[in-house]
Amino acid sequence: MIREFSYQAPRKQKELLDILASERENARVLAGGTDLLVNIRLGLQHPRIVVDIKKIREHTAIRFDEKEGLSIGAAVTINEVMENRDVQKHFPALVEAAKVLASHQLRNRATVIGNLCNASPCADMAPPLLCLDARVEIVSDSGRRNLPLEAFFAGVKKTRLTPGEYVERIVVPPRWADAGGGFRKMKRVRGHDIGVLSVCLTKKGPLRRVAVGSAAPTPVLVGEFRGRVSTEEVIRKAMRRINPIDDVRGSAEFRRFLTRRYVAELMKEVR
Amino acid sequence: MKRAEAGEPVEISLRINGEKVTCRVPPHVTLLRFLREYVGLTGTKEGCSAGECGACTVLFNGRAVNSCLVLAVEADGANIRTVEGECRNNRLSRLQELLDKHHAVQCGFCTPGMIMSIRDLLARHPKPTLRQIQEGIEGNFCRCTGYVQIIEAILEYTGQLKKKGELKRVRG
Ligand SMILES: Cc1cc2nc3c(=O)[nH]c(=O)nc-3n(C[C@H](O)[C@H](O)[C@H](O)COP(=O)(O)OP(=O)(O)OC[C@H]3O[C@@H](n4cnc5c(N)ncnc54)[C@H](O)[C@@H]3O)c2cc1C
Repeated sequence: MIREFSYQAPRKQKELLDILASERENARVLAGGTDLLVNIRLGLQHPRIVVDIKKIREHTAIRFDEKEGLSIGAAVTINEVMENRDVQKHFPALVEAAKVLASHQLRNRATVIGNLCNASPCADMAPPLLCLDARVEIVSDSGRRNLPLEAFFAGVKKTRLTPGEYVERIVVPPRWADAGGGFRKMKRVRGHDIGVLSVCLTKKGPLRRVAVGSAAPTPVLVGEFRGRVSTEEVIRKAMRRINPIDDVRGSAEFRRFLTRRYVAELMKEVR
Repeated sequence: MKRAEAGEPVEISLRINGEKVTCRVPPHVTLLRFLREYVGLTGTKEGCSAGECGACTVLFNGRAVNSCLVLAVEADGANIRTVEGECRNNRLSRLQELLDKHHAVQCGFCTPGMIMSIRDLLARHPKPTLRQIQEGIEGNFCRCTGYVQIIEAILEYTGQLKKKGELKRVRG
């Protein structure tokens, strides 16, 4: 049984910010609900008020232009990202990661920003968005600020959001448009499953970026590499940056093995 | 703005299989529970209640969703379709008939959700490839291992089944 709470679905951002400002820790933002409702059910979270952000029109926007880059609003689902022509054309790494996130019907609800705000080490949208240098736009009733995604993650299921704040949208800068990209995810079964380990690599001109999921308390940006760099060098850096654990999905050693393997494959494949 | 107390019922209005329904429901009630216990449509099944199994799949504005992970209040103003919307004048839909014909139903628990995922799949891909079918129903667990029969029924529905049994040899 889900615990009782009240529900609000403001249509204006101002209303949303008022609710978040007055309710603080008592309020929880509801996007697709595929993490939040599971957590409430399990008794891991008990908000007094659940604030649905999907009725605010601006949140449903996903758009690309050459000046600003790709903007993804707080209510945009994983499937909407995957189906978007501009994303397909300019951001292949995002499509590849979206394709293997949960199941089709979950992707119809799950949002990209919910995936980031839930801040699981295995969040599948995180490695590609780290590689693409996404910025997180945070708003509260006292103003707005933005953070690079790398700085947004604070620990296992922890972000830098403070009470009263929420994420309005994320923006991928235009300099990463049309980058080549690849995403690898090890699952325990061929159907839908949370990843054992994932690696994303993007490459544009002389620049490469690499990120790893499920290998540390947060998804990890291994770094940016310029020009000729050997696979061994990238792997060495990745090994220094990750800190995997043994858990129900796999051992730390298996995760190190997969990191080496996937980095090597993607170094060859992504041009 | 008036602040509602936790648990206080809210009035919602939605369409279920084309029919308008208005009802008061507490915010913590899932769409799944709402359909089964408030509206009396028990075709939609509760399996894991955690988004894993897909038994509770319904169409929400045309898209398949796990109704165990949607609040009934979120469906205010929405168009919901459930397995009860399949039959017309007490006759099974063609898709249901074909699932029956291919023995794609053993215990039947996954079937209502499976059918709704198939509807979403066919709306996107009227002639789906084997891979698209597998991806389309990957969120629906059948534990009587009837996937081959289910896929054959889908292929016959779309006029793509060449020979019965041919799928037994395919590993997609
Ligand atoms: C069966 C199952 C399988 C799954 N498989 C995968 C998988 O393969 N890969 C994967 O990465 N994930 C997976 N998930 C997890 C989940 O579906 C994703 O993390 C999803 O993207 C979460 O998005 P949501 O919109 O549903 O978030 P919600 O549940 O609505 O929100 C998640 C959290 O973020 C907060 N939040 C949401 N939006 C905002 C915002 N705009 N501002 C501030 N806070 C916000 C919420 O308060 C909540 O704490 C799975 C989940 C289930 C149930």
